[in-house]
Amino acid sequence: MTRTGAAAGYHGYYHEAVCYDSDDDLLAVAVPFLLGGVAAGEPTIVTLGERASALVRAVLPRDTPVMFMSGGAMYARPAGAIRAYRKLLAGHVAAGAPQIRIIGELTTAMFGPAWDSWARYESAINHAYDEFPLWSMCAYDTRTAPPSVMEDVLRTHPRTAQPDGSHVPNETYVEPVMFLSERRAPEPDPLQRAAPRADFAQPTLTDARQAVRDAGDGNLPGDDVEDLVVAVSEAVANAHRHGRAPARMRLWSAPGRVVVAVTDAGPGPKDPFAGLLPTGDGLEGGLGLWIAHQSCDHVAMYRDAGGFTIRLTAGL
Amino acid sequence: MSPAAKAGHECWSYDDQELFDAYARKCVDAGLAAGERVWFVQGRHSGVTAGSLPGGDAVRVVSFEEAYSGDGVVDPAGQVAAYTAVTEEALAGGYTGLRVVADVTALVRTDEQRDAFARYEYIIGRYMRLAPMRAVCAYDRGELGERAVAELACLHESSHDAGVTFQLHPGVTSAEAMLDGELDMSAEELFGTALERTDLDRAGGDVVVDGAGLRFIDHRALLALEKYAASRRTTAVLRTPTGAVARLAGLLELAHVRVEGAR
Repeated sequence: MTRTGAAAGYHGYYHEAVCYDSDDDLLAVAVPFLLGGVAAGEPTIVTLGERASALVRAVLPRDTPVMFMSGGAMYARPAGAIRAYRKLLAGHVAAGAPQIRIIGELTTAMFGPAWDSWARYESAINHAYDEFPLWSMCAYDTRTAPPSVMEDVLRTHPRTAQPDGSHVPNETYVEPVMFLSERRAPEPDPLQRAAPRADFAQPTLTDARQAVRDAGDGNLPGDDVEDLVVAVSEAVANAHRHGRAPARMRLWSAPGRVVVAVTDAGPGPKDPFAGLLPTGDGLEGGLGLWIAHQSCDHVAMYRDAGGFTIRLTAGL
Repeated sequence: MSPAAKAGHECWSYDDQELFDAYARKCVDAGLAAGERVWFVQGRHSGVTAGSLPGGDAVRVVSFEEAYSGDGVVDPAGQVAAYTAVTEEALAGGYTGLRVVADVTALVRTDEQRDAFARYEYIIGRYMRLAPMRAVCAYDRGELGERAVAELACLHESSHDAGVTFQLHPGVTSAEAMLDGELDMSAEELFGTALERTDLDRAGGDVVVDGAGLRFIDHRALLALEKYAASRRTTAVLRTPTGAVARLAGLLELAHVRVEGAR
């Protein structure tokens, strides 16, 4: 069994962007892509948002065996999306699929302060899905995605699918190892303009967890506090285990949001995929950052003159 | 805190013999006040003399030979049987129960001694849940080292100054253990070792780890529990009121650990 369409003969993940500024342009790319998959008997999946899904559904012939999945469930958090997609893809491959086709999109809410983590997602999946015969299209509506987002889209997608049926390499594409190694400092959270409510030098894990419980109490739902406790505990454990002293933890809180920054004097993890993919079997380390990424709403990891910082946010 | 208000099976780790002697006297007083028979098994450096203790016949200073068949390698089941007999004898004698205050440093000096005694500490804890026996087990940290003391301390219902962040102690049957406190990187190896010293594997079916008193558990400790349960071909059911534990276990896709909400 062989792959069909633009990815015919390609090995691994064929990752494309779709940058559209009209519904017609989206449909011009999406419809042949989906119908081609169905004709070839390939698992063909739509994870577009509600509006775009409805557009596509309306023009597909009735009973076309395309799977429509809720994008919201798949795209809750980057590391979780990678985990969910890898399971989905592994299942199809195990069932004998020669290729899987997916067209999806991130919601406009992700183009805000959390975009950096989704840009990293878009880059990391070039590697994370490369063991699967996947052809996917990530749709971006240029009417709603800001220019800075579109710039990252072209840097993280090797090619762009055009309405005329062509597949054009993106000149600004950079390999994920390079993109992810940039570790750009994120936009400071507005809460960080004020002095932190707690500032610990060499925090113990017990103190770190208690500070998060105290900050979250009354500001966040109980489950979110406990998940942030998990994330922060892993981050502080990592600082002690793999970082360079002195470690420091700062914490800001407001109704609906808690921000925790854990800094150590070292260079941070060498693995550019750290946090987005689990590494090792857990007993030798490597799972902590991955767990931290799935236990809060946003994670930023960056280097500056002070060393390496992991910033964890619950409540966006 | 008064000794009577503390757990039935308590570990006391000490550097300062005088501090422990003072605590031991308080425990003797508390036992007498509760109408218990009190056995005091002294360490070699103890400054407490039999004559200095109150209580008359109710209090006995007991040698290692009598209390533990000497200072060799303890036989866990045999030692539980021995204390069962002493407790029943105390009840028959009109006492409300048995309280043992024992410096057992001499019984855990070698790895073999410590392994056997740790297994004994765990199962005598169950007897104390079921019968009117309570005990303070004291260990000289300066002589044994922190790691050795921690291995023993974490198997008690509570511990004093032993540097452990969690307690793994028995439920009322061998199918159930209680896990209290916080497990993070500081507990990583210790928890795996502690699990090996329990008798959970003899339960025959699923085993329950009651985490009602569990404040935090990290992925490494969950993986240690998974490893233990897998090696014993059983499933460990971890009951905890903290939903984050179930979510964490879900991420780890554990095959031998099931997390349930505490009832």
